[in-house]
Amino acid sequence: MRRIPYVVLAIYALVGGLGPLFIDYNPVRASLEDRLRGPGSQVSTGIAWLGTDGLGRDVLAQVVYGARTSVVIGLATVVVSCVIGVAIGTVAGYFRGWLDTVLARGIDILLAFPAILLTIVIAGAFERSVLVVVTALSATAWISFARVTRGIALSTRERAWVQAARVLGVPRISILVRHILPFTAGPVVALATLEFALVVLAEAGLSFLGIGLPNSAVSWGQTIANGKQYLATAWWISALPGIALSLLIVNIGILGDQLTARYGQRGRRS
Amino acid sequence: MRRSLAIVAVAALALSACTTTTGGTAGSGSTEVVVAGTYPIDSIDPHGPQGGGTGPQMAEQAIFSRLLRVKPDGTLEGDLATAWKSDPTASEWTFTLRQGVKFSDGKPVTAKDIVDSFKRFIDLKGTNSANFPGYTLASTSDTEVVLKAPKPDAAIPRKLAVFFVLPSGVTANDTAFFERPVGSGPFRLERFSPNEIVFVPNEHHYGGAPKVSKVTVRKMPELAARLTALRTGEVDIAWGIPDDQLPAVQGESSLTVQTVQSSAVFTMWFNSSIPALKEAAVRRALWQAIDFQTIIKQLYPQTGTPSEGVVSANTLGFVKQEPVRHDPAAAKAALTAAGFDFNQKLRLQFANAEFRPFNQAVVSELQKIGVQVDLLEKEQAVFTKDLLALNWDINFQQLSNPTLDAANTIGRLYPCAAKRNGYCNPQLDQLLAQAGASADEKERVRLYGEAARIIWQDAVGMFPMAVKHAYAWNKRLSGFTPDPNGLPSFAGLQVGS
Repeated sequence: MRRIPYVVLAIYALVGGLGPLFIDYNPVRASLEDRLRGPGSQVSTGIAWLGTDGLGRDVLAQVVYGARTSVVIGLATVVVSCVIGVAIGTVAGYFRGWLDTVLARGIDILLAFPAILLTIVIAGAFERSVLVVVTALSATAWISFARVTRGIALSTRERAWVQAARVLGVPRISILVRHILPFTAGPVVALATLEFALVVLAEAGLSFLGIGLPNSAVSWGQTIANGKQYLATAWWISALPGIALSLLIVNIGILGDQLTARYGQRGRRS
Repeated sequence: MRRSLAIVAVAALALSACTTTTGGTAGSGSTEVVVAGTYPIDSIDPHGPQGGGTGPQMAEQAIFSRLLRVKPDGTLEGDLATAWKSDPTASEWTFTLRQGVKFSDGKPVTAKDIVDSFKRFIDLKGTNSANFPGYTLASTSDTEVVLKAPKPDAAIPRKLAVFFVLPSGVTANDTAFFERPVGSGPFRLERFSPNEIVFVPNEHHYGGAPKVSKVTVRKMPELAARLTALRTGEVDIAWGIPDDQLPAVQGESSLTVQTVQSSAVFTMWFNSSIPALKEAAVRRALWQAIDFQTIIKQLYPQTGTPSEGVVSANTLGFVKQEPVRHDPAAAKAALTAAGFDFNQKLRLQFANAEFRPFNQAVVSELQKIGVQVDLLEKEQAVFTKDLLALNWDINFQQLSNPTLDAANTIGRLYPCAAKRNGYCNPQLDQLLAQAGASADEKERVRLYGEAARIIWQDAVGMFPMAVKHAYAWNKRLSGFTPDPNGLPSFAGLQVGS
């Protein structure tokens, strides 16, 4: 039972990574004669296993390409926010003093602001592109990494080996990298999985609102939004990418819980 | 025997009289009509900055009167004016006023009210007042007002369809007045809240008070909510129903569905000021590359027809143009011959999600011949700002024209000085100036037709589709006429047959 999330995520990674090699899809190309066909219908390009949308584009291809988009944006955002968050968190926690005061209060201020609102403001202010979406999502996602690592750094810096290193005259940067950073790894990995789920969901949300990815990219959020007005007549446009999205989120959530239970104890306390 | 018969007869008579009376009371109790509002109504000040929107105008025409109005069939009709005529140069227009018209508070409508309203209309600089730069209105007697234009303007009567008359003495931000507005329109405002606006009949209306007891316009921006409410009978009238949803609405036995030819034309300007689109040959080729016939057939089977001119067929100044034939091979050859750079990306901008499929289909068609287009869906405010700044390469608009006069579209948007699409042609300017100055309707149609031919052949833009609006209303209503501009009147409504 514990393996299920791994298996599901592996399938998503496989589909997202290899699927586009087998399925050809051009998001710009409309095929109006084939519009709104149900799952399994014969269309001009073959059989549409998951039906077609309002412009006659294959829904299966959109689910597959959407998986790739979601995974890529999720990973990119988590990596960016992880690097920023861990750097700020450890520096604040280890050096303390005025630097910590400034950074920690900055984090508090950002936390007081609703994350999704800030994301929408940033994403809405610029022309739609992948870079803007990653930036907008990272702008709030790094905060939890910073908080967790700051807590760990604060407690680790008082441990005997750190003090020993300090007495021996090891440079501060080396202490940070070799004696503090490794202890943040467990909680950060656990947190990263949960953040990944949130980011995938947030990206779909942004694209649903029409301020996420450009029309030339494929995103589950966009596909779901496109099917909104056909819910009564062509349910498959919104429902199938929606199911794909929720399956992914639920499984990452379960995996994140498992990892937190194993590594994340210290992270949770801070 | 005879006596008992008589008693029975009397009893039957009494009974039938009784039923009629009861029936009548029950009927008048339920003669309320609920309308699903498509557009927000933020203000009912017809002269204010928001007063020119479609939502506000629908409310304003219920409460206030105008000098003239445009009927759903496109002809002009006197409202406060009964007759109107111009001097030979069409720069001075005289309006004879209807006698005995009263405001909803019982006071008579005088020439002074009309003159003061026009002054307020111009002073407050709402969007519609731009149609009257430097114009003045004065009363020559109690029954006559004269509008003077700085230069000849034959379109004045139709332009006046956006000028509403208030009692004199209303100041710029008179919130107290607009809470309980006094007007001479068919209805009186009972309640105005952001989500609901309620009208009751104006007993003093010159044409007689409307027969319904109440009209409620409920704000329902979400399409699904509008259609559900229509089906359940929660609302009686709704419009702006897209083609994909029309068959379901038409299947409802309790609803009447009608599409009406609007004044709107899908207008896709090319930015002629950028190097890539400077040549008319390039613009024509792009138009030729798109299979609009198929797009319209698939996406707008019921509410779209290929447009035959720059303006809609029911607009004054419409002249049929030669259709552009879809020929991607010829288009590609023409583009190559003109040295078109296929690596360049053109920016196509539009607003409103309802037009997304159409524009996506256009982008797809252009991609087939190798022309790259970036589709940019913008918020209305951003769209308008970029539109005026010419910050686009192709611009999509559903261009409506409530005045149903080509002066308001061809005459306003295509002269060099307008700077709306980067196109400048002195010959066109001259034609438009002549058309604007002529008082003869036939001559104006001819001149606008010639101007439209230049616009069409030089492909200042593409004019692919004439739009119909789909209306649906409950069968218990009678006397409802769908309006081509999405501004239906509720004055003639009746409940029950």
